[in-house]
Amino acid sequence: MRQAGNNEIFSIKNRLKRLKRDSNKWALLTLVIIFLIALPVISIGVTLFAGPGETWGHIVDNLLLDYIGNSLFLIFACGFLVLLLGVSTAWFVARFEFPFRRQMEWLLILPLAIPGYIVAYSYAGIFDYGGTLELVFRYVGMEPFRLDVMNRGGLAFVLAVSLFPYVYVSSRAFFLNQANNLLEASEMLGAGEFRTFFKLMLPLARPAIIAGLILVLMEVLNDYGAAKYYGVNTFTVGIFRSWFSLEEPETAVYLSALLIVLVFGLILLEKFQRRKMVFSSNRTNTQKIRRKRLSRRMQWLIFSLVIIPVLLGFIFPVGQLAYWAVLTYERVFNMSFLLLSLQSFWIAFLTALATVFVAVLLIFFSRWSRMESIKNTAKLGVLGYAIPGAVVAIGIMIPMIFLDRWLMGVLDSLFGVQTGLLLTGTLFALIYAYVVRFLAVAYNPIESTALKVSETIPDSSKVLGVGNLKTFFRIEFPLIRTGILSAFILVFIDVLKELPLTLILKPFHVNTLAVKAYEYASDEMVMEAAIPSLFIIVTVMLPVIFLNRLLIK
Amino acid sequence: MLKIESLSKSFDKGKTYALKNVSFDLEQGDVCAIVGESGSGKTTLARLIAGLETPDAGTIIIDGKVVSSLKKQVPPEKRKVGLVFQEYALFPHLNLFQNVMYGISRQKNKKERAEEVLKLVGLNDIKERYPHQLSGGQQQRVALARALAPNPSLLILDEPFSNLDSMLRMQLRNQIFEIVKNAGVTAIFVTHDTQDALAVADEILILQHGELIQKDAAANLYTKPNSIYVASLFGNTIQLCQEMKSAFQCPLNPDCCHAIRNENLTINSECEFVTHARVLKKTYLGHDTQLLLKLDNGQQLTVLTKDRDVAERIKIGFNSKDVLEFHS
Amino acid sequence: MKKVLLLVLTVAAFYSCKNDKEQTSTQGNGDQEVNIYTHRHYPSDQKLFKRFEDSTGIKVNVINASADELIQKMKIEGAQSPADVLITVDAGRLTRAKDQDLLQPVKSDVLENIISSHLRDPDDYWFGLTKRARIIVYAKDRVDTTELSTYEDLASDKWNDRILIRSSSNIYNQSLLASLIVHNGEEEAVEWARAVVNNMARQPKGNDRDQVKAVVAGEGDIAVVNTYYIGNMLNSDSEEEVKAAKAVGIFFPNQDGRGAHVNVSGAGVAKHAPNRENAVKFIEFLVSEEAQHVFANSNYEYPVNEAVETSQLLQSWGEFKEDSLPLSRLGEYNKKAVITFDEAGWK
Repeated sequence: MRQAGNNEIFSIKNRLKRLKRDSNKWALLTLVIIFLIALPVISIGVTLFAGPGETWGHIVDNLLLDYIGNSLFLIFACGFLVLLLGVSTAWFVARFEFPFRRQMEWLLILPLAIPGYIVAYSYAGIFDYGGTLELVFRYVGMEPFRLDVMNRGGLAFVLAVSLFPYVYVSSRAFFLNQANNLLEASEMLGAGEFRTFFKLMLPLARPAIIAGLILVLMEVLNDYGAAKYYGVNTFTVGIFRSWFSLEEPETAVYLSALLIVLVFGLILLEKFQRRKMVFSSNRTNTQKIRRKRLSRRMQWLIFSLVIIPVLLGFIFPVGQLAYWAVLTYERVFNMSFLLLSLQSFWIAFLTALATVFVAVLLIFFSRWSRMESIKNTAKLGVLGYAIPGAVVAIGIMIPMIFLDRWLMGVLDSLFGVQTGLLLTGTLFALIYAYVVRFLAVAYNPIESTALKVSETIPDSSKVLGVGNLKTFFRIEFPLIRTGILSAFILVFIDVLKELPLTLILKPFHVNTLAVKAYEYASDEMVMEAAIPSLFIIVTVMLPVIFLNRLLIK
Repeated sequence: MLKIESLSKSFDKGKTYALKNVSFDLEQGDVCAIVGESGSGKTTLARLIAGLETPDAGTIIIDGKVVSSLKKQVPPEKRKVGLVFQEYALFPHLNLFQNVMYGISRQKNKKERAEEVLKLVGLNDIKERYPHQLSGGQQQRVALARALAPNPSLLILDEPFSNLDSMLRMQLRNQIFEIVKNAGVTAIFVTHDTQDALAVADEILILQHGELIQKDAAANLYTKPNSIYVASLFGNTIQLCQEMKSAFQCPLNPDCCHAIRNENLTINSECEFVTHARVLKKTYLGHDTQLLLKLDNGQQLTVLTKDRDVAERIKIGFNSKDVLEFHS
Repeated sequence: MKKVLLLVLTVAAFYSCKNDKEQTSTQGNGDQEVNIYTHRHYPSDQKLFKRFEDSTGIKVNVINASADELIQKMKIEGAQSPADVLITVDAGRLTRAKDQDLLQPVKSDVLENIISSHLRDPDDYWFGLTKRARIIVYAKDRVDTTELSTYEDLASDKWNDRILIRSSSNIYNQSLLASLIVHNGEEEAVEWARAVVNNMARQPKGNDRDQVKAVVAGEGDIAVVNTYYIGNMLNSDSEEEVKAAKAVGIFFPNQDGRGAHVNVSGAGVAKHAPNRENAVKFIEFLVSEEAQHVFANSNYEYPVNEAVETSQLLQSWGEFKEDSLPLSRLGEYNKKAVITFDEAGWK
């Protein structure tokens, strides 16, 4: 195919000419957004050049193997459990009729409402000496039985039962909407239920499953509270330790960089694996799956299997929290607590709006930019999710302060006005950091619904003489509404649960439920942490149930 | 009206070309067909003209105005090009009337104009319906009405009939091109089907692997294809290889490539070059019968004939005036 | 629809920023205010802040976070930091803040008179507010008190597989090891840490309360914990915790020698404090008898103001001799302690 003229068409001169022609304002705006999102990473990256701190060698000698070993263990153990729980429940709920199936559909999402570290506290409380389990055994007159959950196996279990809904949600969506005709074909070919699932559904659902799994693994690697409490040294624990206990941000940055390499390694590995088998299924096929009715006995068997993760991930921990809450509510619950809840809610709401807004800008600006390279660059926007919250927070503060100092200088010299820090320590800085951290959470659902809309639909709008912006409002926005709404809800949930970043960046007069719960728990008042935790759970539950209805549609 | 000069487009930085060095002109009011197999670059060409893609090299001029070049890219919304997509691309959340109104919302008599084009395609009675409530043919006509409403100076139809069954397709093809011709608009019709192209177009462009290999009036293409590829696009064609030439004992220039159309092969009648053959297999195809022949020199050959009751042994031949000659 | 959302968003964001700006801009105008960065988040503290506000009219603004994070925050904020007072739950962090030039010295007779010299910075950069002792609790049925003696003794073979202690990322453990480094020298401290790791009944995990429970559960025989957690457990809402705390014996180590290791929760005035005077007033208030009484009785800490009696509970544990090592030394060796822990394999 290569012919003469090729060299000329792709000569540097012509490439530059095209670059000039194609660099429209949208490309520029995309780059601006990406820059703002990457700013914390950049400011941290710059410190990488300063070299690691003096304890780096110490960490490599004594701790690094432990960090890597534990983090890898968590990735595999947690990954395995999450797949087991998430995919099996998704398949049961999508494929079979059984008692309380409708209720199970949303009950299975609820574990997402509890922050992982709180689940960790409640399980410690359940299995503790004098813990709930022991009380129950004693009550029924049996010899108390105790299980040590405070180790890395226990950590993997705790994180898995609180995070499996990510995989459940993504694989169920696939089973519900994509699978029906393949399923029927498989049945016609005489394949049994097991064969159909393992040979057909599982490989086909793989991209959907992996998408959920990657979110889970990012959360696992980002976890700080649970790992610290259970005494498991992971990368994130190490980052906090070298930053704060060893006082070496430079070393922490090196560990963060390694962690990021680990995360990207995982993503690339998956991409590489997937490249070997490209599955595409017919997009226009939107026939809903037909549910199978098994015998009554089998139905109850499935019910009892499906309820296990609900019990483990939601009912047991919430039960434990409720018990604690009853013990402590007199001291914890008062008017200022209600105000705090309201504040928490308001911040989450505002952040969710801002994040969705930025995600939409990023996705559509890059689409309008005409340049493939810009479209690929836009995907960098999701990188904040792979970086621990504390690191993002520090990465935001550095440029913010810099900007503040500059602003102060300018205002002082121009107007003689003395101002304090205008941006740092404001809600703006906090929300900015949240947006950086959770952009991926909003980006993915919006992008995937946007991809479901055939490209020719906005194209035909443009050919009819309507510009990009108007096309967005009149055509694309109405068609991707559900994606935007799910994105909004997901970010809202994550912000309500977020901890380390909030701790560092929250302004005076602002407090959140998660911070309150952590304050209690970190001072060994785990029981007192129950009420703020329950408040988070209740606030998150309602949107989660709503989200479920959106996703089923 | 439309002038395209050495247009090239590659999606992988020059490793392969979706379109390579394509040039042609169209006059006002022309109806032109772009024919090619899938992957030949015809949809890319349509999208380039509409402004939905940017070319890597070359120029597109519409009505004397440069709309695409190395220096300039007029966005699609400013080109006044109408485009009907293969999958119609109707806005699913708008009803027919709103779909048609969409492109003319800033015009004065927009309601009247929308009703006018809806009447033109015969769908004004059901204008309150939504796209998913329509049949494929109806959706097709809405897409056409929507594209015609803003009075585009150039209308491109990208595989407009490929999603329809053959009866509907013929009906609609004639209807739609009647509408297009009455509207006096310059039209480009992108298709893989030569029948469709021959039926409606004054002029046909053939694309292969992104290159324009022939542009000619419809009638000429059939009689004077410039390559065996083009010839075979327009009907079952038998290449005359050396063995065939010797079987028929015809003294053709051995430096040229020759072919004969199936319909110009005669069975059991007198003509310039003949040979005998045995019928190995007969397959009834309703209108035609397919014969698998073994020529006397051992060559095998598949031909179609209208004659159902051919004998075991037949005489087969053709005349020199029907031989297609290609210089390549 | 989207436009409306956009509008709401910008207005809201602007409003919230503006709100904050108003609050920060009032700082310079002599409006009575004091900004506290604190690691302490006990209900008793909130009570005290309220009392301070009521009696002085100075508004108290609080940021709660771990001391480490607060120090990083102050460092980055630099001269523009709104912080007036930094409160931590250990002396090591205060020394670090001092070393990183985040605090300023305060000359206050009130503070000097009330707080004994080893509980404050020699250069008056920070002041202890309350004391906690790091003590040993033991299973009454399995440990004879004669077996117990000193921290150093924890390294002896008789404790093999019997010691429960939390992770080395905990600041109280870091302080304890720092004190051992000061007293016995680095080499011995390393040996000690190695031996204790060997003697551990299990890998370090959980908090101090969990160590106590593990003793009662029989996982180990002795645990090293902070006094005030025992106080809190004895007054817990959970019967089981109370039972557990009652089941263990309390032992103050090194009573024949230098005394039990104590640490303080303390405060210092930020270097760039916009409300310096209020900050000093605030710290003075915290060591006043009124405030110290609250500390002593609601949070089971030992007051630094000797005029104030310790709580009934603490009194019931008896008087004890405390290590009079100047706490400022702990900060110097904190990092060394962390590295030593890592090298000893103390998780």
